[in-house]
Amino acid sequence: MHSIYARINNFSAFLSSCILTLLGAIALSSFLFTANPQGDLSVLSVKVYPGNSRRQPGLSQEYTFVNFNISADLTPLFHWNTKQLFLYLQAEYTDAKGVRNDVVIWDRIVRRKEEAVINVVGRNKYVFRDISHSFKNVPPANYSLQYNLMPHVGVLTYGEAGRTTEPVPFPPAQDFVSR
Amino acid sequence: MNDFFNELIEGKIDFEGQKLVENITKIALTVICIVSFVLGFGLQSLKVTFGALSLGSLVVFLVVVPQWPAYTRHPVQWLPVKQPTKLS
Repeated sequence: MHSIYARINNFSAFLSSCILTLLGAIALSSFLFTANPQGDLSVLSVKVYPGNSRRQPGLSQEYTFVNFNISADLTPLFHWNTKQLFLYLQAEYTDAKGVRNDVVIWDRIVRRKEEAVINVVGRNKYVFRDISHSFKNVPPANYSLQYNLMPHVGVLTYGEAGRTTEPVPFPPAQDFVSR
Repeated sequence: MNDFFNELIEGKIDFEGQKLVENITKIALTVICIVSFVLGFGLQSLKVTFGALSLGSLVVFLVVVPQWPAYTRHPVQWLPVKQPTKLS
């Protein structure tokens, strides 16, 4: 006959199956939310300066500085299974050798729905340089605002929330930093 | 005294009670699962889902695990003990 341990075992075994099914259902339910908010991204100015990095003092290379403006309302992406958003601004260009590059120059983690209205006027957070040390003869670059939606349970989804309407050219490198 | 506690911890129930307990566990947990999913989906909150699930399963645990009198109502009727016939 059933003792208390048998009943605890019975209960917890069925409860764990229930929880797994529930988690599966939650993960699947996030496919029902297909919001695809679009924001505005504009590049205000692009400047290229020569400089030296601390790591390679003898090497002169070119650094690009991008000023941009982002305004986007990403609140529709926050549903019950959204943990946080990883937002990043990506520069997409084909270098002088014909290799396509995607460079992340700015990012932000959005943890709450209240913070999901993005209004940023800023400059690149991360160093933007090319592997050939020069942006000479590099065709114009596109800039796009990408996001990763991180769920509590389920799959990581990628999306794009904005893109510059036309490619922005790299200007020729300036000789010195002017104020 | 010791026997009493042993009995309480072991908490044996009869076969009818066992059947009842298994049915209650399966049906109640399934219903609680569905209800908590619907509630959480409706209110768009995982907190609600797991709050409802844990509250509900706590109640089911309390209903199912202890040796409630309802589960010991049909004790097994054993055959009477046969008196051994005397060999003469």
